[in-house]
This record gives sequence, structure tokens and C-alpha cells, in this order.
Amino acid sequence: MKFIDSRTKPRDPWHAIEGDDGPMVTLTPAPHSLLTLLQWHGVRSNWPAGMPVGVLLPNDVEVSEIAADLPRLALIALQFPKWVDGRAYSQARLLRSRYRYAGEVRAIGEVLVDMLPLLKRTGFDAVVMRADQSRDAAERALGFFPGHYQGDTQDHLPLFAKPPGTAEKLAREAADDFVNAGAAI
Amino acid sequence: MYQYTEFDRLFVHQRAAQFRDQLERHLRGQLPDDDFRALRLQNGWYIQRHAPMLRIAVPYGELDSAKLRALGRIAREYDRGYGHFTTRQNLQFNWIPLERSADVMDALAAVDMHGIQTSGNCIRNTTSDCFAGVAADEEVDPRPYCEVLRQWSTLHPEFAFLPRKFKIAVTGAKEDRAAIAWHDIGLHVLRNERGEVGFKVLVGGGMGRTPVIATVIREFLPWQQILVFIEAIVRVYNKHGRRDNMYKARIKILVKAEGQRFVDDVNGEFEHILRDDIDGTAHLIPQAELERVAASFVTPAGVTPRPAGEAPWQPAADAPGGFRRWLERNTHAHKVPGYRAVTLSLKRAGQAPGDITDEQFEAAADLADRYSFGEARVSHDQNLVLPWVHETDLFGLWSAARDASFATPNIGLLTDMIACPGGDFCALANARSIPVAAEITERFADIDELYDIGDIDLHISGCINSCGHHHSGHIGILGVDKDGKEWYQVSLGGSDGSALATTAVPGKVIGPSFAADEVADVLEAVIETYRGQRIANERFIDTVKRVGLDPFKVAANATRRSTAQPA
Repeated sequence: MKFIDSRTKPRDPWHAIEGDDGPMVTLTPAPHSLLTLLQWHGVRSNWPAGMPVGVLLPNDVEVSEIAADLPRLALIALQFPKWVDGRAYSQARLLRSRYRYAGEVRAIGEVLVDMLPLLKRTGFDAVVMRADQSRDAAERALGFFPGHYQGDTQDHLPLFAKPPGTAEKLAREAADDFVNAGAAI
Repeated sequence: MYQYTEFDRLFVHQRAAQFRDQLERHLRGQLPDDDFRALRLQNGWYIQRHAPMLRIAVPYGELDSAKLRALGRIAREYDRGYGHFTTRQNLQFNWIPLERSADVMDALAAVDMHGIQTSGNCIRNTTSDCFAGVAADEEVDPRPYCEVLRQWSTLHPEFAFLPRKFKIAVTGAKEDRAAIAWHDIGLHVLRNERGEVGFKVLVGGGMGRTPVIATVIREFLPWQQILVFIEAIVRVYNKHGRRDNMYKARIKILVKAEGQRFVDDVNGEFEHILRDDIDGTAHLIPQAELERVAASFVTPAGVTPRPAGEAPWQPAADAPGGFRRWLERNTHAHKVPGYRAVTLSLKRAGQAPGDITDEQFEAAADLADRYSFGEARVSHDQNLVLPWVHETDLFGLWSAARDASFATPNIGLLTDMIACPGGDFCALANARSIPVAAEITERFADIDELYDIGDIDLHISGCINSCGHHHSGHIGILGVDKDGKEWYQVSLGGSDGSALATTAVPGKVIGPSFAADEVADVLEAVIETYRGQRIANERFIDTVKRVGLDPFKVAANATRRSTAQPA
């Protein structure tokens, strides 16, 4: 998981194109532009091949609407207007599992520490957390579970479809870590 | 019951560890109330009137004596000595300080229990028939499917923040004891004419402000496909369910608004998953997994059916009348000849419906060990059930159950009512439920009278959230708040969908709200009207259907005092 915060922000090349969604003819293609869907629609036919471009996808837009453009997009930013609004999880999941999108999927908006396990499992690989969030707590949040029951975008197979003995192996390894950390089951 | 694997066990321990981390951040001031709320809810922790409330999952109602004892211990050591069973087969504690919440989660994990997804806008604890696996009218045991569903829905990363809560109920019997048509998804597992197992799938039922009966979206779905089909339903809901108005956010509103388009969307999504997704078929349930899980749900060793040809057990000729009544009301037909399922009534004078003390937890555990191979169940009607009782043990069990006040012979009768905790505990409630329930219990204490009134479902909710299922009661009582005072709306003719009233339907309100001190009189008037109108052995619900609401309205209105309109 890539964390984009005040420390790493200077190294992040992506920038939104400010201003309103006005006439798109005025938008000059530049590498690592992060465009709104409307901006992208305005320039998509003229965007130079190979110039990295990203799109901000509102969480009420069907991923299928940009399916044809996906190979041209290096980044898709999915939005959490409120952290308890879980629509973007479905969008990310579909981007990865259905449309085989291989670019960056970035979570923006109200992104909190405790969303990290869900984000990672639904296919996000970058996050811009809310400013008050702790990177340490987020890293910790990613480490609690030895495995999961359902398949996800990281690991497509549910536990029951994995090779025999997998659950036992996961449990044994994790239990060792757990006990070594001074806890008891 | 399902035997946890090492993985399952570690998983709930780690869930407790995750919760402790969240709690500690909260108590240190690093996780504000607003952000902590959804996290604690998904572990069962509400902030209530007096203290936090903890809702513990009892997956599809299955308990054993070790779990019952652990719950009793938690009641004693962390609470004020009692808990409350809910209509969704969960258990609630009301007095545990938040600071001790993580310790309680550890104590629960030690007996393979948790509060995962017992609240919040996620897929909630799956409920089922309290007689699953032992019912005489069962076609397919729903429990292995419930457990597969429990695992699949546990910490599902995509569906943790849905527009609103999402409840699934499953039955495998002819009689619907799980009220499946009142759920977001209702599943009836059955066999088709070729003998193959599959699900009749219902979607979009719910109570609350807008009571809706679920619609059938599939008449028969092969069991292997159920996780994928539910994934399709929940994904369509996650994308399109309303988030602008919490009262219109349940899937029932989407299903109503979209109609056939919703059905087409779900079917389309289902096909997409199987055809287009990476490993889209990976969640088809393999036979081996079903068998692995089903191996936990076998008839206990030691259960010996009565040999064919041997006469059924009969109570002794001089058996007390109370015992005969208890046999009639509190014991139930069993799939194994020579056995009965027995209900331990949690509806008795002096205790709120569904409440249980620490000592009663212990007593129930002892009874389960002694008479039911250590197994117990929670019913949708907020009672406990012992599923494996040999006929010849019935008298002994009855005597022992009486000592623990579990033997009120009132199952299915008026005082076996469903009630939420109401305004005495719940921060959402508009009015209290417990005093109303207590007054009715007191008013109808005469057991002969109760028997004369016969089968009837009385359901009481302290507010429109409908935790007491007032919509589905033959008689429903709903607490409402006007000008800071408690009022009660009375409805008649509702049904949960069981054979008694054949189809699930919401009841109809019989007039303006009544004052708190009028409710018991109204109930008495309604019951008297029924007794006056009934033909022969006609049951209450049938009389209501036949004569309509008018005679009941007249009788109920005649009891008005403070709510009487000046002539």
C-alpha cells in the first residue's frame, strides 16, 4: 500500500487540473494530470498516447462507463465522500476483478486508518488518508488477520478453495507470531 | 453444532485484538466518537441509555452448555447479572462499561464467540429455524449452509459499509419459523422434483416505517451458487441503494422502486461474476466444503431412535395436569422417533420477555448437558430450546425446568410474546415495552384462560425500528412518542409467515394511539371480542380475517379513557 501524505506528497507526480469543468478545449495535456470524468471526456480523443493520465471517478458512476478507456489510464482515484459510504469498494473490486485494471487505484476523500484492510482487499494500492490519521496505526490495521474466508482482489480464492491444509498452516504460523508477541490464546 | 477450526478460533481472537487496538486509540483520544462509532457497532457495541449495549452473535441460534456458562459468567462479572435474547437469536448485555469491552471480547473469543457484524450497515448475523436439524417437518438441514454463509459474510471487504443493515434468514422446513419473508434476503433451502438441493430466494423484505414482504427472485437456485447470487444482490444494493435518507436506505425500497429492473440487474451481475471475473467461479461451493461443514451438524452419538413397532411413550396415567400442559405447549415434534425438542420458556411473570439471569444461564447449561447432549438453541420468539430430549426424560426435565422458572407452559400463547427492551434500555425507543409486557403477563396470568384464547402471536416494539416485530404480530403493539409522552398503536392481523396464518403480512392499525394505561384494557377488549365472535375452535388470526377489524375497533375504542374524544 502506498501512503500519500505530507511527507511523500512532494514525490507524488499527480496533480488535479484546477478550475471549473468549463470548456475542455482549453485543457493542455500534461503528464500525470488527474482529471475529472468530464475533463477526461473533453480531451480523451486528443490525449497523447503514452502520456500518463488519471481520472477521478465519482462513487455513483458505473465502472463499466470507462471500461474502454482503462488501458489508457495510469491512475483511477476513487472517492469516499464519507468514510462509511462504501460504494468505492465495489468500484475498485470491479476494476481489478472484472476489467483487469492494472494501473494505480487510489483512495481519496475521508480515508481512515481502519479502512485499510478493506481498501487493500478490494484492490486499492494507494491512499491519501485524512490529515489527522496515523501511518503507524494504519500499518498495524493491515496486520491483524492471518487470512480471510472470502476471496478478494489480492487472493481470489476463498479459504475453502485453497489447497488442503492452508487454513491449518495460516493458523499455525499466525498463532506462533501471536504467542511470540507475548499473548496467549 | 459447528466446531471451530484453529483458523476460526484464531480469527475471532484476532478480531478481539483488532477491537482492543481501536478501543485503546479511542480512549487515548486518537479515534473520535464519530469515527469509532461504526467500528464498535460492527463488533456489537452500541451506546445506550445507561451504558454501552453489547450484542453478541449466536449464529443461527446454536449454543452449547460451555457457551451458556460463559455468557452467565460474563453476566455476573461484567454486567448486572442478566442478559436479553433477541428475535434475531442474538444475546444482549446492557450494563458493561466501555472500558471493559475489549476484555469481554477476549472472554467471548475463548469460547468461540464474538460480536462480529451484529450491528452496523453490513451483513448481519444469519438467523434460522430454532428446530433446524431436529424438526419433523424439515426437508433440508439449513445449518451447514448458514455456516458457509456466516464465513463468507464475515469481514467481507466489499460489503462492510452498505447503505443500511442487511439481514439474512434461512429455513429448511415446511413451517417458516425464521420469518424469512421479513428479511432483506430470505432463503428457503429445499429439494426440487429431481431431489436436488437448492434455494428459493426472496429479497427485499423488512419492517420499520415501511413494512414490506420480500419478493421471490429465484424459485430454485442450485445450492452451489448461493454465495455468488448473494454477492450479486448485495453488490447491486451497495451501488444503487439510497444513501441520502436512512429511512429509505434498506434494500426493500430499492426493490420496490426498481421492480423488474432490480431483478434484471441482479441476474446480469450474477452472470457477469461467473463469466467475466477473475476466478469468478471460485465462490461456487464445492461438495467437499459442504461436507466438511456438515460434519459438525450430525446427530449426537448416543441418540437412539425408538425401535419401529415399539409403542410411543405416554405420560403416566397420574401425571400432573401441569406436566401435560407443558408437554402440549413446550415440546415439539422431532425427526428422531422417541425424541422431542423442548422449549425453555423465557416468558414468565417477574422477568422481561427474553431476559435471562446468570443463574438461569447456568441452569440452562446444566439442563442442556443432562438432557440434550450439551446443545441448546435460541428461538426467534426469544426462548431457549433443548433440541435432543428423550421422551422418557421429559418428566425429569419438566421438574428441573420448573426449578429454574423455565417451565411456564405458554409457548405459542398470548404471554409468549415477543418484545424488544424498549425505552427502559434502548436509546432509540419512543416508549417502554417491558411495563406493557409485564402488565399483560399479569392480566393474563390464568393459565386456563390462556389456553382458552389459544394460539396467538403478540409482538411489542418500543419504536418504529420494529425490533419487537409488531408488524408481524397477530396483535402488534408499537410505542410512539408524542409531546414527550408514551403512546401505543395497536394493529391486528399481521403474520410472520408461519403455517398459523400462512402468508407473511403486516397488521393493520385499529385506530389512533392509546395511552400507556389503556393498553392492557385494549388487549383484553380485543381478546374478549375474539372470544365472542369465534366459531368453534377458530383461532384468533382466523377470526380477525373472517370478521374484519370493525368489531375489534369498536371494542378497543370503548376502553378509551384519557384518549376518549368528548362526544
